[in-house]
Amino acid sequence: MAHASRLLCLALPAALVGSTSGYAVTYLTVEQAQAALWPGVKLAETTIKLTPGQRKAIEKAAHVRVRQPEFTAWRTPAGGWFFVDQVVGKHEFITYAVALTADGAVAGLEILDYRETYGGEVRNEKWRAQFAGKTSAAPLKLDQDIKNLSGATLSCRNLTDGVKRLLVIYDLVLKNLR
Amino acid sequence: MQINHANQPSAGRRASLATALLALVTFAGTVHAGEHLFGYVKGTEPLPKGAREFYQFATSRDDKGQGTYHAVDYKTEFEIGATDRLTLAAAFKSISLKTSGLVIDGYLPKDHRFGLKASGIELEALYNFLSPAKDGIGLSTSFALNYDRIDKHSGQQKNRISGELELLLQKYLLEGQLIWLGNLGMETTHARRVAIADLPPDFDWPTGPEMEIELKFGTGLSYRFAPRWYVGAEALYETEFETEVGQERWSWFAGPSLHYGGQRWWATLTYVRQLAGGGEFYAGQTDTSLHLIEKTESELRLKIAFNF
Repeated sequence: MAHASRLLCLALPAALVGSTSGYAVTYLTVEQAQAALWPGVKLAETTIKLTPGQRKAIEKAAHVRVRQPEFTAWRTPAGGWFFVDQVVGKHEFITYAVALTADGAVAGLEILDYRETYGGEVRNEKWRAQFAGKTSAAPLKLDQDIKNLSGATLSCRNLTDGVKRLLVIYDLVLKNLR
Repeated sequence: MQINHANQPSAGRRASLATALLALVTFAGTVHAGEHLFGYVKGTEPLPKGAREFYQFATSRDDKGQGTYHAVDYKTEFEIGATDRLTLAAAFKSISLKTSGLVIDGYLPKDHRFGLKASGIELEALYNFLSPAKDGIGLSTSFALNYDRIDKHSGQQKNRISGELELLLQKYLLEGQLIWLGNLGMETTHARRVAIADLPPDFDWPTGPEMEIELKFGTGLSYRFAPRWYVGAEALYETEFETEVGQERWSWFAGPSLHYGGQRWWATLTYVRQLAGGGEFYAGQTDTSLHLIEKTESELRLKIAFNF
């Protein structure tokens, strides 16, 4: 197995380099995202716990898995919301933040972490602005109301689906909270 | 040429399989675009327009059941996204080989050993029709044109031109954490061996034109178990037909793959073992459950790629 040994000699350093040289880049912290999406507004932190029934109803309406039935959200005095969520990217999770108005429309979206090879344009204001004003009634489909980015289709789809999931969570659970 | 035939599907079954595969690969192609989760089974995603990637592949082929057989195929490839759907690639191939203690009439004429030698070139084009993330299932087709001047089995001189057409499918499950790939392909080959001066008079080493058709099927499932790391398993079926003997060989290979995907580079390590094979056997072959003339008992493949 001389050749096999030679191949492993190449593979092991590669794996070692890969496992130790992460490329984590945080573009925004949660606090910075809050300040960007709700400037000057005091946010109250709250924990949302979804019941199994709510989780099932959200998944049915949004056609997206609810990966975390318990999560932290922030509320504005006027009834608006701020969420930090994660979706699956090609290599890593993408962390993003969404602000919803008191009537359940997207007020803004920010990308906190994006570490994929292609598709860094998801951080561009123009791409993020496509979500402004969307409600749970919007299609939120790539190439329909959200533009795809070549080379980052999975990231674009999962971010779009993630926003849809938050809008459905608002619609089915949060809008009835006092 | 002393060749035995066994473990072959019935003629009717063979014909049905060939017809079905031929029908399916009418739209087929080869993809080396984007990131490879597996060593052999290929994905559908093209490079975005203007993106460029550099690949280095090394495939170790080991053990024909008797004697010593080690070969390593190297491929150095450059790939570019011509459009968001069309990816073009050019590759330079080389080989190193060591075989001793095994002579196969018509295939392995004598002991042979050499280090790295340039062996051929490959040109490929991939066209993407459907995106797995956008359209539910990914669909691509590609075509690869190969020229080789060294026979990868014996290491002897052989001029070979082949065209390979594949149909590639890809499905994202669990938002892309679990990925299924399926490939169907057909390769047609024209080859001519260069005469060897010092062979025994009764050794069969034909130097006339050879025509072959190979059909391929591959499938694999890969799961991202940690950020940047995928583990998967793939299975490959290949069968080859040629004018003199009909179905010359068939084989099933399967094994695990480990993939690391970084932002600027990725690597994939795959080990596959021949589970079953048939068609021709060499005289004195003890394990007749495998095809060991043109295939080996196992292969280990490492791929490393950089995007820039």
